[in-house]
Amino acid sequence: MAETKTHGRHQFTLPLLAIVALILIFIFKPYAVIYGVQRGSLYALIAMPLALTLGIVGILNLAHGDFLTLGAYIAYWIFNSTGLDPLLSIFAVAPLLFVVGAGLYKITVSKVLRAPLLNQLLLTFGIAMILEEVINLIWTSRPRNVYVNYASASASIGGFRFGTYEFSYLLAAVGVLVLLRLFLKHTRLGKAAFAVGQNPKGAKIVGINVEMIYLLIFSISVGIVGIAAGLTLPRMSIFPLFGSPFTLKSFCLAAMAGLGNLTGILWSGLALGIGEALVQSIEGYSGWSDIVFFGVLIAVITIRSYRGSYV
Amino acid sequence: MLGVKKFLAITLVLALVVLGVAAKVKPIKLGAVLPLGDITGRQAANAMKLAVKEINAAGGVLGRPLELIIVDDEMNPSKGAAAIDKLATIDKVDFFIGGMSSGVHLAQIPILKKYQKITVWIGAASHLCEKALAGADWYFHLHPWDYQQGAGYAIGWKQILEKYPQVKFDRVFLAYEEGAFGTASYKAYLAMLEQAKQGEGPYVGLVKEFKGESFKSAAFGGGDYRAVLRLAKEWNPDAFIWAGYDADALPMMAQAKEIGFAPPIFIGAPPGWPADFGKSPLSEGVVLYGMWAPSLNKVSPVAEHFYNAYVKEFGEEPATYFAPLGYTNVYFLVEGIKKAGTLEKEALIKALEQVEYESPLGETLKIAPSAVIKHQGFTTQKILQWQNGKQEVIWPFEVQTAEFIYPFPKWEGR
Repeated sequence: MAETKTHGRHQFTLPLLAIVALILIFIFKPYAVIYGVQRGSLYALIAMPLALTLGIVGILNLAHGDFLTLGAYIAYWIFNSTGLDPLLSIFAVAPLLFVVGAGLYKITVSKVLRAPLLNQLLLTFGIAMILEEVINLIWTSRPRNVYVNYASASASIGGFRFGTYEFSYLLAAVGVLVLLRLFLKHTRLGKAAFAVGQNPKGAKIVGINVEMIYLLIFSISVGIVGIAAGLTLPRMSIFPLFGSPFTLKSFCLAAMAGLGNLTGILWSGLALGIGEALVQSIEGYSGWSDIVFFGVLIAVITIRSYRGSYV
Repeated sequence: MLGVKKFLAITLVLALVVLGVAAKVKPIKLGAVLPLGDITGRQAANAMKLAVKEINAAGGVLGRPLELIIVDDEMNPSKGAAAIDKLATIDKVDFFIGGMSSGVHLAQIPILKKYQKITVWIGAASHLCEKALAGADWYFHLHPWDYQQGAGYAIGWKQILEKYPQVKFDRVFLAYEEGAFGTASYKAYLAMLEQAKQGEGPYVGLVKEFKGESFKSAAFGGGDYRAVLRLAKEWNPDAFIWAGYDADALPMMAQAKEIGFAPPIFIGAPPGWPADFGKSPLSEGVVLYGMWAPSLNKVSPVAEHFYNAYVKEFGEEPATYFAPLGYTNVYFLVEGIKKAGTLEKEALIKALEQVEYESPLGETLKIAPSAVIKHQGFTTQKILQWQNGKQEVIWPFEVQTAEFIYPFPKWEGR
């Protein structure tokens, strides 16, 4: 009983510390919190589908960020051809990427699921290379932009002026998280996918079509990236290597949150986003943000492994 | 028997004539090394092809056609160095031309020194390349070196301050990308301003206070400039300069608008601009540095000819100054060959030293010594400004195409 109480207290210690830290940062560097939440939400939005594939299909998709690039270029092409707003183009880009994901899964990924990890990595790395080069051939390496007025909209509270558009990343990240959780916990298909992620052999024995689940989850993951693509296009320059840094960041978030922990990815994204923004806001030390990013990641993984070894 | 002798004699004469003709029409080979995956290299290559086509259509040089062999260095130093070897040994070119990245060129210099062929280079602005080329009298460099560019901007701004007395340039804030390119720009500014404090160099009397802060470029996974922009806004500079890549351009402006940062002079200094920058209302009033702008068509017939010919040939606009620079690369060399009347090395070096080529860059190319090398071409860049979606020349005033918009327009209504 006493042990349970101690465990309960520990459960609340970390979130409490996080809240105190957040309040302190907000008092001294309010912009760091706002920018950090916005940027961290984007990291989480992009990382969640990678974690989904990693957790259920069991494959680390090194082409993940390149699907983001592809989606952004499709949205750019739609905008230039039809004038359709990038946010509305999400409704076309996400299904299109879903189909691309399904096609790639059937043609390539499904063939290496039982292959050694290195082969899987090489395959997705190869897909990434092909996507980057094809995009380079079609659109060249010259960055492309879509300018829409609302992407640089801002709000002021007193003398406190900040951009509002990037809060859409937070809304999208929370929305995707809620929908994914509802899907995985409350639908037959989602429960089946959850079971496959837990124990694929067992799931197969009880009659779940594991292959179909893999196909579906991989396609959904690529489709979700399409949402991020439409959201980022009004705000960022796109070029053939635009998405690739997000692959590494997504993998880091997945590693930090723990396999299959989608909610943890949102928290990790916010923590890393705020950490990054905080470092950037310190005069003369902005170049340290990557060091902090990976430093926090290493610390979390190390602490978790220590805790794991004592349990 | 006599018939056989006659036949042999005629055959011999014919063979000699054929060989002579073949030797006469043997092309002059130009070996170019460029990064073809990048717009700068691709458009420079196109412009070189255009120049070669025009020259060959006009009868070639010394009665011989030009042959252009282009090798892609993929922005990779080892590939760039191997390209020189390949051009020299397999293609047996007469001259080396091209160039873009300083990093690639540093790897090429030892190989160029091995062959010591006449080389006319349009890229590589780093003074480290210049140092490595000390004493290479066969080497001609057309692009201004980094320190020359910095000095050129100072001359330009001083003249702008004289012409437009309302303009202030006392407090300058530099936001630089944290990689090699941005850091080199920051260090160059620091060095020049340190010199100015000692009462030396081009910045004497120009900048009184200077501050710099780095950011992570979108090209390397960054793209959030709000922290550095906010810092600059609080410092309240007369001129804000950002030294990053083309991928940073529009997001930088959008985020400046978002936080309400509109300094009197907003300068962007990327090596190139994104395809859609001019289309955005946020581009209005942004000052930039460059060697060329399409607006030069209004004041330079050579620039106009180049622009129209390029568009006709390739169905696209030249979007980077490396296009007219590539065109200049070929024409400058050809003017030298014409002047020398031979491909003999010493004579040609002397002839190239005397060439005055009216280039599509809006200025006449003449060779003069730089701080280290004997043969330097252009020494300054131009000060341009985005106006109504186009780059207009503000300085030098001899080729000015529009009046300077000052101060930078407010964000409201954009």
